[in-house]
Amino acid sequence: MKNLLMIGWRTLTKPSGYYSLGALVIGGFIAGIIFWGGFNTALEVTNTEEFCISCHEMENNVYEEMKTTIHFSNRSGVRATCPDCHVPHKWTDKIARKMQASKEVWGMLFGTINTREKFLVHRKRLAQNEWERLKANDSLECRNCHNFDYMDFTEQSERAAYQHSTALAAGEKTCIDCHKGIAHQLPDMKGVEGW
Amino acid sequence: MTINRREFIKANAIAAAAAVAGVSVPAIASNLITSSDITKLKWDKAACRFCGTGCSVNVGVMDGKVVATHGDIKSPVNKGLSCVKGYFLSKIMYGKDRLTSPLLRMTNGKYDKEGEFTPISWDQAFDVMAEKAKDALKKDGPKAVGMFGSGQWTVQEGYAAVKLYKAGFRSNNIDPNARHCMASAVGGFMRTFGIDEPMGCYDDLEYADAFVLWGSNMAEMHPILWTRLTDRRLSAPHVKVAVLSTFEHRSFDLADNGMVFTPQTDLAILNYIAHYIIKTGRVNKDFVNKHTNFRLGETDIGYGLRPEHELEQKAKNNGKTKGSSTPISFDEYAKFVSTYTVEYTAKLSGVPEHKLEALAELYADPKIKVTSFWTMGFNQHTRGVWANNLCYNIHLLTGKISEPGNSPFSLTGQPSACGTAREVGTFSHRLPADMVVKNPKHRAIAEKIWDLPEGTIPAKPGYHAVLQNRMLKDGKLNFYWVQCNNNMQAAANINEEVYPGYRNPKNFIVVSDPYPTVTAQAADLILPTAMWVEKEGMYGNAERRTQSWYQMVEAPKGATSDMWQVVEFSKRFKIEDVWPEELIAKKPEVRGKTLFDVLYKDSSVGKFSLDEIPEDRLNHESRDFGFYIQKGLFEEYASFGRGHAHDLAPYDRYHQERGLRWPVVNGKETKWRFKEGSDPYCKPGSGWDFYGKKDGRAIIFALPYEPAAESPDEEYDLWLSTGRVLEHWHSGSMTQRVPELYKAMPDALVYMHPDDAKSRGMRRGDLVKLISRRGEVQTRVETRGRNKPPVGLVFMPWFDASRLVNKVTLDATDPLSKETDYKKCAIKIVKV
Amino acid sequence: MKNLNLASIAGLMVLVLAPVFMSFNANSADKSEINTVATLRDHTEIDVQKEPNRIPKVINKDIKQTRNYPMQPPIIPHTTRSYEVNKNNNKCMSCHSRQRTEESQAPMVSVTHYMNRDGNFLAEISPRRYFCNQCHVTQLDAKPLVENTFIDMHSLMKQKTTSAKEH
Repeated sequence: MKNLLMIGWRTLTKPSGYYSLGALVIGGFIAGIIFWGGFNTALEVTNTEEFCISCHEMENNVYEEMKTTIHFSNRSGVRATCPDCHVPHKWTDKIARKMQASKEVWGMLFGTINTREKFLVHRKRLAQNEWERLKANDSLECRNCHNFDYMDFTEQSERAAYQHSTALAAGEKTCIDCHKGIAHQLPDMKGVEGW
Repeated sequence: MTINRREFIKANAIAAAAAVAGVSVPAIASNLITSSDITKLKWDKAACRFCGTGCSVNVGVMDGKVVATHGDIKSPVNKGLSCVKGYFLSKIMYGKDRLTSPLLRMTNGKYDKEGEFTPISWDQAFDVMAEKAKDALKKDGPKAVGMFGSGQWTVQEGYAAVKLYKAGFRSNNIDPNARHCMASAVGGFMRTFGIDEPMGCYDDLEYADAFVLWGSNMAEMHPILWTRLTDRRLSAPHVKVAVLSTFEHRSFDLADNGMVFTPQTDLAILNYIAHYIIKTGRVNKDFVNKHTNFRLGETDIGYGLRPEHELEQKAKNNGKTKGSSTPISFDEYAKFVSTYTVEYTAKLSGVPEHKLEALAELYADPKIKVTSFWTMGFNQHTRGVWANNLCYNIHLLTGKISEPGNSPFSLTGQPSACGTAREVGTFSHRLPADMVVKNPKHRAIAEKIWDLPEGTIPAKPGYHAVLQNRMLKDGKLNFYWVQCNNNMQAAANINEEVYPGYRNPKNFIVVSDPYPTVTAQAADLILPTAMWVEKEGMYGNAERRTQSWYQMVEAPKGATSDMWQVVEFSKRFKIEDVWPEELIAKKPEVRGKTLFDVLYKDSSVGKFSLDEIPEDRLNHESRDFGFYIQKGLFEEYASFGRGHAHDLAPYDRYHQERGLRWPVVNGKETKWRFKEGSDPYCKPGSGWDFYGKKDGRAIIFALPYEPAAESPDEEYDLWLSTGRVLEHWHSGSMTQRVPELYKAMPDALVYMHPDDAKSRGMRRGDLVKLISRRGEVQTRVETRGRNKPPVGLVFMPWFDASRLVNKVTLDATDPLSKETDYKKCAIKIVKV
Repeated sequence: MKNLNLASIAGLMVLVLAPVFMSFNANSADKSEINTVATLRDHTEIDVQKEPNRIPKVINKDIKQTRNYPMQPPIIPHTTRSYEVNKNNNKCMSCHSRQRTEESQAPMVSVTHYMNRDGNFLAEISPRRYFCNQCHVTQLDAKPLVENTFIDMHSLMKQKTTSAKEH
């Protein structure tokens, strides 16, 4: 047994005698793809709506609320899923967000928000986290779909066109400043700017 | 930046003003009329035409037309507010299709059941009506004639009709649409307290620490009471609101504890609360010992369907004993409710345990003043009387009753369901002031006041609303007059049990209405009717407040009030036409007289002269009959209740007040009944006195949960609940003709859970069919409206004349109250 | 005087002809016209049903509509989908409250909305007026089924001033 391990170790540490460098590079590349792909695939599984709503905390609260909103059902059927708005698309940001999400796993395991009432108690803090994130990144996840440059103001209602062509255009405001609660119910808005 | 809309409009306005300024005009600004002769409006007070809240409104009249309405700031009910319907009252009388001529189905100038509606004169109309009524009376006697009235009749209209039917035609086949609305509430009051109508009043709204809504969407159906509740909840943060319903609706917006329960399980929840109060040792023993009795009620009482229905065949006790009960002890009662544990109740109802506990605690905690409100969720229930009884139980166990803020409060639907249907007693079993036809003493009192011979009023209760439709179908009720309601849209199971009766060749159907309703469409004769402030009248609201108004405008030419129609029709009958010889023999002086003479003109109804009507007041009816008939009808009716805990003030005083809450004793209204110090009828030293019962004790009833008449199964897999909406009054015959209200809510959609839609391959807007064992109706799917049903239940309102949801509903009734359960039946939904 | 004669002749004509027209109407009514009494059902028999129209859209033009009388609550000229008015929030007030109107350029709620039950002014919207949707409603793009002949007070006054001028 010990010998066997030693042979393996030597093989790994000793420069290759049998395999060409090219084969090694290609092999390593393939192994890398498999490993990397596996990681990303696993990551992507956690990045689907099915995964999000597999906890009843999500399914019974935020997802249920979303069903009646315009981000769920609308004219053209372009639907936003949970990760579209709540997980950054850029890889580094995504990983950072996923690290944060480990806290949510704790929350689930310990039942921090396992009833509607408990969820509502925490709702304001949870919402504020998202608003702050979106405020900080200039509503990046909104803008992944809603690109300012391609908005046709003549197709918008007058009030919307006015606000978009002034405050949003000038960069004074970002999407989330006005569109809080667009996909879920709001917490108590006391003290929130603009309310 | 380019000019925005506001700037644009502003600029235009200035330009327009300048253009006008260019034209020479004398002295005053041309676009303003300032002369007070021209701008003056005549303002007067009236009760709102719509719901049971009973708001007072001010009505502005110019040149004989109503031009404005707003909430009356002097009214303690609404203090200047109206809901959206109330604000649009001004327009309800001006639908272009107001009826102005009687219309009879005719072929070649003669009445023909299959003929076409043809305008005829009022004389011709009364001729054919009288002929048909006399035929029916001759053929089958008084039981062949009937009338379906309304909780929207004025007090006087209801009273005139009761007298015509019960004394004139000697038929008890008169019932109001209030049967569909609060008959179960009446049953509950009579059974628990022995006297009808709430002990509390709206002032409770400003005193309570907690509100519980049981099957009442106040936010839409009693909007102004909702403003008072909201005011209290938001201005006093300690106040809690619990809302129970079978689906989520607008009242949940204010709920601290919102609960969606499985239909029918409210009975279990009510018993659970009683159990919780006992288990946690919070029974108010002193109160319970002094003021209550315990009784065990009869169970398995059936579902008020036709006797041959399998559910009736199966029911053990749907006969005469169904309302009976036997005395039990407190311990026996405690044992009875002990099976309703939180675990059992949560499982049955689908409401989480912690929510049930929070709800029960509101009642149990002696420091919390709690007011319960309920409307159609309790009343339109095959165990509606039970639900009412069970709610009183929990208020009685804790002694939380008849005090400011402690109040079990049954809200009525219609503006005068209390005033007219209940207090006047326009039910098939009732007489004024809570008396019943079955009781010989009560009949004797009525006959004495009416100055009629003994035996005039028949002892057997007549056909109630649902039975009337069945009897029409069976050809046993042949002359039928419908006033002030739209039963072809409102009654359950239209397909099988309503429409066939109206079109039965044996029957003659008269429908009085301002507008051509669905019911009018099914009639043989339509009578054009004056409405609201086109006549003088009175309404009585849910807090016992009686309000009056004067006639303010003329009805369209050709239209007359319901009261005028009833009284004028009575002229067509000689006593000999309607009374048997032996009855006439007891009072020979009536021989040769008409019913008009005997019932109205020569009775105490006729004793007030026209001089009492202020000269500037319109009053077509009185001037036509030759006496102040509204006052006469009211004063005679009021004499039933004066001195019997139903005291009303003198008629003239109501024209000065924004209503008064009866009993009005020594000129003072009563806010909380049954409480010494507040209610003058309580025995001194009693503390509380439930004087409706002989021993002064209210009854706590042991009654179980029993399942609904029809529940979803594999084929008919959804619950259907029906109901109303904020923007429309009942069947929409008035409000659908107001463009703003119509456009706010034009169509009755079926509200369903997005998952229910998805699993059936449906989406918002899809054309679907709701199918039950009785019929079907088409409408469109709404998955994101104001009502949010749980998976397994759908809601469709009934205001829409073009989509008759009552083709689908079941005519199961509470066997005690005979009120239909419109909230529960089983349907399936398929795509069209 | 001449006018009067003309008027009376016209009046007589109406009186004479009216019954003729009426009976003409009654006799000529064919089976489908029986149900001209079924105005809200679009003349459909009770035992059948016309196909329900599509769900209309909410009018979202932001154009103020003339009120029928000054105390009528204005209708809402824009969509309110997902606008929350509940225990936590009042979305309407985020534009229509006194403090917000400069930014939003929305009309401020009427001063009556700051009055409590006794008519005294509060520092904030009175909680009794909290649920805007009890009085204010959006309008769907649906054509009314029946015309309404309500005449507003200004039209009546105008009639009076014009007829006064002519005399």
